[in-house]
Amino acid sequence: MTDSTFDVVIAGGGVAGMTTARELAARDLSVLVVDRHLPGRATSASAGGLWPIGEAVGLGCGVIYQATRQPIGSTVADGADAVPESLPEVFRDFLVASNSMFPELSASLLDETGIDIELDPGPGLLFLMQTIGQQSVVDNIARGLPDGCVLELLSPDDVRELEPAVSPDIVGGALLPGEHQVNPMLLTEACKRSALTRGARFQHDRLVDEILREGDRVTGVRIGDDTISCRHVVNAAGAWAGRLAATAGVSIPVEPVRGQVVLTEALEPLLGTCLSTSSCYLAQKRHGEVLIGSTTEHVGFDTGVTEEGIGGLCRGAARAVPSLTHARIKRTWAGLRPGTPDELPILGGVAGLDGYSHVAGGFRTGIVAAPLMARVAAQHIGHETPEVAMGDYLAARFDHEDSLPAHS
Amino acid sequence: MSASQPTSPATIDDGSAPRIVIIGAGPAGMGTAITLAERGLPVTIVDQNPIPGGQIYRYPAVPPVRPRTPDRGSALRVLLDDHSERITLLSGHQVTNIETADAERRVSVCGPGGLRTLQPDQLVLAPGAYEYVPPFPGWTLPGVMTPGAAQQLVKSQGVAPGRRVLLAGTGPFLLVVALALHEVGVEVIGIADTVRRRDAFWKLPSLLSDGKLLKQGFDYLAGVRKAGIPLLTGRIVTRAEGRGRLQQVVLAPCDSDWIPDHDRSAPMKVDTLCVGYGFVPRLGLARLAGCELTPTNLPGGWIPTTDPWGQTSVPGVWTAGDGAGVAGAIVAELAGQLVGLGILSRCGVLEPGEVERLADPIRDRLRQLGRFRSGLDELAELKPGLSGLASTDTVVCRCEEITRETVDTAIEAGNTSLRSLKMATRLGMGPCQGRMCQPACARRLVDIGCSTAEAVGRPAFRPPLVPVTVGQVAGIDATAPEDLVDDAWETDDVS
Repeated sequence: MTDSTFDVVIAGGGVAGMTTARELAARDLSVLVVDRHLPGRATSASAGGLWPIGEAVGLGCGVIYQATRQPIGSTVADGADAVPESLPEVFRDFLVASNSMFPELSASLLDETGIDIELDPGPGLLFLMQTIGQQSVVDNIARGLPDGCVLELLSPDDVRELEPAVSPDIVGGALLPGEHQVNPMLLTEACKRSALTRGARFQHDRLVDEILREGDRVTGVRIGDDTISCRHVVNAAGAWAGRLAATAGVSIPVEPVRGQVVLTEALEPLLGTCLSTSSCYLAQKRHGEVLIGSTTEHVGFDTGVTEEGIGGLCRGAARAVPSLTHARIKRTWAGLRPGTPDELPILGGVAGLDGYSHVAGGFRTGIVAAPLMARVAAQHIGHETPEVAMGDYLAARFDHEDSLPAHS
Repeated sequence: MSASQPTSPATIDDGSAPRIVIIGAGPAGMGTAITLAERGLPVTIVDQNPIPGGQIYRYPAVPPVRPRTPDRGSALRVLLDDHSERITLLSGHQVTNIETADAERRVSVCGPGGLRTLQPDQLVLAPGAYEYVPPFPGWTLPGVMTPGAAQQLVKSQGVAPGRRVLLAGTGPFLLVVALALHEVGVEVIGIADTVRRRDAFWKLPSLLSDGKLLKQGFDYLAGVRKAGIPLLTGRIVTRAEGRGRLQQVVLAPCDSDWIPDHDRSAPMKVDTLCVGYGFVPRLGLARLAGCELTPTNLPGGWIPTTDPWGQTSVPGVWTAGDGAGVAGAIVAELAGQLVGLGILSRCGVLEPGEVERLADPIRDRLRQLGRFRSGLDELAELKPGLSGLASTDTVVCRCEEITRETVDTAIEAGNTSLRSLKMATRLGMGPCQGRMCQPACARRLVDIGCSTAEAVGRPAFRPPLVPVTVGQVAGIDATAPEDLVDDAWETDDVS
């Protein structure tokens, strides 16, 4: 590096770090992103589902996550009727607002970089009711709808008309129109190239080992034997954000939550919607592969896949879409979601330390929340008024909490 | 081994016997299996082919030509048969995944009965190697194939790959295949070896270390000369051309860095080009098992790290043969025997002194072969000219149809590791898991000074190593697996 001083150093080059780099570079700040692509990066294992309401009412991985959080004794098998918890309305609205940024973002990125982030406005996110008992899940979705949003209740015939590949055994469906998908890897890459053209710098295959501070302010970062000084450090280190924060003496409750996923070979067009069931979700990507996700497991930084995890997803997929039984699996792998106890991200700084802030804890909504998280983070760093109040997302909300979860 | 073979050992089968699984029934896997079975240990061999022998001793399904020489493969098959009560051979089975968490080894195997899981105490990886062909203009044209694919067509199916054939690349394997093609009546118009005669000359001292192998080499050369096949040294194929299929190749003289002199290039009319620049160890099994790798200058760039017995960094996981570092069938068999001795020692079947006594002659022979091999290896060491052949529109990743231009743009944006290149371009995201594009791009990143081998990163593999269906994994589809995708590249292009 010729410059060894930057306005902002961003630690982490996943979707959070790259969208933030692009926003900051647009503000004429000198930006350095330091990134090593570690196995388990959540961006690389994400379905790219843009399901703001779906995730807020607990669909997507939410249903599966909920199933794993049932009290002992009420263990739920595949297809159980657990009603997922909803995220707080304020965060639902955050997700909706962030989602609405995608069309413009997609067009700008295509213009700036030539990369199509594969924003596919399909018919929506379809929850498949596989038992009568799952009516309670549908009721829950209806209760969680913000004003002006619709939930289309579908009969089995309606479902089959919309998605002919779905099993004839379903008892109904609920469609959230406007919930679509994107390619998270291309989104990240396009933001990176856009940031590059706006003057941002990158150090690849390197890790920020330590955030350097003098008294109550950040002075730079240590990368191996090198020191880079800066006025501000953004912690966008994904599942590793807690470890990085600790080097600055900051404690944040970010824990890796493993999600195993299955990707089929490229298939002819099979699914128009993104499907959510109580045991998996399915999204057919632009190249034709169907992504089947995902487990939610607290197993530390283990990025392995298990027979049990992959087997369960495959059983769920074959039950929902029988023709997938004969589809070949191209890959299975796992990502580590940056999990927080209340499932909300961590933004903003911490009291008593100037020049440090988070774009962290994206958990299971990291892709859809990325544009607004990045915008708010950049506004905060650039001393503008953030367009969303940051109070709900500050790390300080975890102070004085011995045990979690926070919302219920 | 025959000298020390006990007359009639009882099978240790009272439930206390270690569970030993060997993956691959080439010379290395067979060497290990026979060594263990001779001492009474039961073993299970998982092999993708219908008949043991690996690539090198591939048994002809329909014998098209008489065997050239009494071959070692047949002898090994007889030995396997002799110990059949202790050797369980799962032919037509493929390994889809290995889990080695918590000192447990779970090997997922896909065969005619669907998926099953083996849980060995000792696991031997003997997966062999595949031929290395980095991208060059026209390399995806029908009519362009590897020497091994051409040999397989002749040996297994009795089919000639073409009428006018040029062989190109490096190494003695080109001579072997040229003779095999000549024998079935193919017009072999030449063998273009990138290594210049004067560069080969300086390796003579190490090649002289094994008179028998050197003589074998000279015999091949004499055979080629007798057959009237021109040996064109210091030449590199820079392009393959044709409408819809190969019609001609462009051959250029090259320097010691294999950089072609395009001004002196000349076209040659051919319908088939067999091109290979050595062999890449198959690292998928070792990577899934969590084995550490060591960098090398040879194709593929990495080999599993092992101790002198062939044990990897993961205790109880061993490796031998070309998959542990390409050195040919003779070395593979001996290394397989060493792994067998290592396991016998580990399992307490043999005393340490006895193991050393048995290992000494094997090691002596391996050392001698190693000196010879180092000469060959230095000749086969990849040079930067090779990774510069592709032009901007050359497809470098065949599965995802990624061009060199796309990759270069991504490299300019700072994606200088395999992992970040994959995310940025889909390079290596296809079913083959980047068997050719990843080692080739890794090599190029180093050759153009963008990165180091360490920073480019080790090749990554994800389960399943071979395609299985959603239903098979869900346990609701018990149909047999399809043919291994792994070999599709070469044979697909023939048709």
